[in-house]
Amino acid sequence: MAASPERKTPLVIAVLAAIGALFVVLPLAALLIRAPWSNLASELSSGGAWTALRFSIVVSLSAAAISLILGAPIAWVLARSAVPARAVLRAVVILPLVLPPVVGGVGLLAALGRSGIVGRWLHTVGVQLTFTIWGAIVATTFVSIPLVILAVEAGLRSLDPRFEQAASAMGASRTYVLRRVTLPLLRPQLAAGLVLAWARALGEFGATITFAGNLAGRTQTLPLAVYQTRQTDPGAAILISLLLVALSLVVLITMRDRIFAR
Amino acid sequence: MVGKRWIVVMLAITSTLVACGSSDEPSDHATELTVFAGSSLTAALTRIGSDFEAANPGTTVTFNFGSSGDLASTIETEGTADVFASASGAYMNEVSDKVGVSGRADFVQNKLVIITPPDNPADIASLEDLAKPGVQVVLAAEGVPVGDYARQSLESAGLTDDILANVVSNEEDDASVVAKITAGEADAAIVYVSDVTSAVAPDVTSVAIPDDVNVIATYPIAVVSTSTHAELAQAFVTYVTGSEGEATLRDFGFLPPPAS
Repeated sequence: MAASPERKTPLVIAVLAAIGALFVVLPLAALLIRAPWSNLASELSSGGAWTALRFSIVVSLSAAAISLILGAPIAWVLARSAVPARAVLRAVVILPLVLPPVVGGVGLLAALGRSGIVGRWLHTVGVQLTFTIWGAIVATTFVSIPLVILAVEAGLRSLDPRFEQAASAMGASRTYVLRRVTLPLLRPQLAAGLVLAWARALGEFGATITFAGNLAGRTQTLPLAVYQTRQTDPGAAILISLLLVALSLVVLITMRDRIFAR
Repeated sequence: MVGKRWIVVMLAITSTLVACGSSDEPSDHATELTVFAGSSLTAALTRIGSDFEAANPGTTVTFNFGSSGDLASTIETEGTADVFASASGAYMNEVSDKVGVSGRADFVQNKLVIITPPDNPADIASLEDLAKPGVQVVLAAEGVPVGDYARQSLESAGLTDDILANVVSNEEDDASVVAKITAGEADAAIVYVSDVTSAVAPDVTSVAIPDDVNVIATYPIAVVSTSTHAELAQAFVTYVTGSEGEATLRDFGFLPPPAS
């Protein structure tokens, strides 16, 4: 991408940008201001928040990895294969991005719950997803997978096909081309998809509480901990919220080059 | 440019929807009463609300159902409620201390019951059975009144440790607890008798908890002092505590208020 020329920003853009930025920053600033900092030490040493933090990290990383492994092939099919009704197929697999997550949770219960259409068979062989860490991972993957699909499909479409054609012409097998040419060229988009999916997974609430339930140490991620703590101790809920804000910010800042790389 | 045309279409749709919405309003002088109520009251108060609307033309009753503790903190910070009906006296005290209430009255009582999916997969016949190994129990979270009452009941039955070890999820309110059972996801849950409404009854099996280890919850209702429609709000409270409201509440499984 060419270096963007430095220009004078039109006033209207500057004003709207300032209002927009304020709108986003204000609630976060309010959390910082309202946080009962004097309780910080006792709150964080109490263990509940750390359990939820550890749990959130495991669940979100697993969900991001599964999203990548399953989402990238979907992106490939959407970008490269002659599938019928491609637009409809794309809309369907992207749907979790815009659906209320609770709808995803209800759908997952109907499908994979203990008495769901598939879940009842799983249950007879002793597999139960609800109320387990696996359920939390399934629910989070459901909402994260579209981000991988979008990033990778865009990458595949902007890929110059001549590299792959050249490799094939020189006798490389299809898997060899995929492994040594296509995937290396796609690395920025794969990484962007992974990071965005991870960030989304970290914040997932609705699908998780609906499908996996809420139990500390078993299915309770940080967002669920915030929600439950708010019932009894709003101040502590703010502190846990800030933990989540800090974690998400670290993810987005450290990975900014990956996300915005072209 | 395609983009421009889409924006026009979106604007047209939005404005049409907005226009439709406003023409549906009952009348220009409609007064909107906002009632915050514990989620166990959902079915009963919704019915009472429409009865009240019918008896008071031009009035719209809007409900916000949720966990009473959550509602109390929202009232304290936002002050948007006209009436608060709490599943626990403690949260009403909180609102009373921090915001102020008037016309407070205890209007119903409720007690706990065990519910299981209709086929009762774990063969639950008593509170003790919830402690059997492998039984999947769902409760409302601590801080949610029905969750706290359920824990009190376990405590008085001396079963706290054994049953809490079987808890697979702490739900955000009693409606979510019931949903886990009607969906067949868990083996048993403890909720209010009033949660087993006629709509829910076919999808659950109820198992009674003896009175000596049960918890009788008393629900207060009051006008929130920041209400901008205090008079109408008081009229609603009087309606709920009056004979018509009481009859409806009884239909939905609530017990009569304590004799005062």
